[in-house]
Amino acid sequence: MTFEGWVPVLGEHLTLAEVIDFAFDFRGNVTVLRVDGTEVEGYIFNRNRDVREPFIQMFDLPGNGPFTIPYAEIRNVKFTGKDMAAGNSWQAWLERREKEKKGTP
Amino acid sequence: MSVPISQMWAVASYVLKQKLRGRKRYPLVLMLEPLFRCNLTCAGCGKIQYPAQILKNNLSVEACLSAVEECGAPVVSIPGGEPLMYPQIAELVDALVKRKKYVYLCTNAILLKEKLEAGVFTPSRYLTFSIHMDGLREEHDEAVCRDGIYDKAVEGIKEALTRGFRVTTNSTLFDGANPLRMREFFDEMMKLGVEGMMLSPGYSYSKAPDQEHFLRRSKTHDLFSTMLSEPRQHWRFNQSPLFLQFLMGKRDYECTPWGNPTYNIFGWQRPCYLLQEGYAGSFRELMEDTRWERYGRKSGNEKCQDCMVHCGYEATAVDETFSSWKGFRDTVVATLTGKL
Repeated sequence: MTFEGWVPVLGEHLTLAEVIDFAFDFRGNVTVLRVDGTEVEGYIFNRNRDVREPFIQMFDLPGNGPFTIPYAEIRNVKFTGKDMAAGNSWQAWLERREKEKKGTP
Repeated sequence: MSVPISQMWAVASYVLKQKLRGRKRYPLVLMLEPLFRCNLTCAGCGKIQYPAQILKNNLSVEACLSAVEECGAPVVSIPGGEPLMYPQIAELVDALVKRKKYVYLCTNAILLKEKLEAGVFTPSRYLTFSIHMDGLREEHDEAVCRDGIYDKAVEGIKEALTRGFRVTTNSTLFDGANPLRMREFFDEMMKLGVEGMMLSPGYSYSKAPDQEHFLRRSKTHDLFSTMLSEPRQHWRFNQSPLFLQFLMGKRDYECTPWGNPTYNIFGWQRPCYLLQEGYAGSFRELMEDTRWERYGRKSGNEKCQDCMVHCGYEATAVDETFSSWKGFRDTVVATLTGKL
């Protein structure tokens, strides 16, 4: 299962904190929509809810950072990048190897 | 066991100092990850699945050294990613050796021969190449998902040994590992002339592509007790014998997640080398603000229940050696006799 491409709809059953948790666990770039209407695209590598002002930390697309953004400044997070952990490359490799052994293309 | 006396002494005196100071939690091995890039995509690895801008990123040498000072552990392990792809690896290793840190450079050895021929490293008792070897040719190439890598690694090992470097192997074992083949592998590595071997069961990284072959606790006991029963006289292991006995089911330990703290481009990883639940800005923050009671088997944390990995349990085993006469005696006996 992957969140790739997901645009969360926040509401009674889905909070911003939950979406941020999913984004933290997601191995791809996301787009953070700020309350002021601006956006930042990049990789969220940290989030901390156990402090007085919860925050996320991220590197942007060119690799600059880390930037810290308080939860209070975030409106939503879109899962816009490719999930680098998705797929079953080991299985694919085994199948390819078996084919090579049998000499089939 | 094969750890040189000087290294044993350095670790022993460090641990005793921590105990005399009454320090309840102390680091033993710093896991320093200067980059996440790798030239392999192994099935059991959950370390390298990141977007391009993260994979291109490196820690600076200054940041690495600052983490080493902050942490204070006598041993620095450099995994990754593939550390031989780190552009400043020579500078980093030199600086660590000058600080008399025991460095384990954990590499798949694809680039080792080339780097040695280029004179990038100088032999030192403080520097060990720890070569990733998950078994004999067939098993290793399958684990790393590429044919020919076993031969490449053997070539690197031979080159390093010829040039007078310390060389060990590190093997991660998964479900389906054949204990008899592993015994053959131990013979083969000792024949090559490595100083010692390191073993650990794999950890079920949630991001690893192969989720089906991670060992559960009882299977780990079965595999290691079959593999290590009646150990051959010439086998040498570069790790605590008490940890190996733990893997065989002869000892029951609790995890020491702070024993091998991890530093990388994101900061100090909470809570351990395997779980990635957040990052602390400083080593002090990691040690003081992490809610350690949430981790380890006793905590009931599901992610910790089947874990028996060296980065959590070897520090426990080393601590036991210096916590009781029995632990000390058992370590000495196993070290001198080679019996587990």
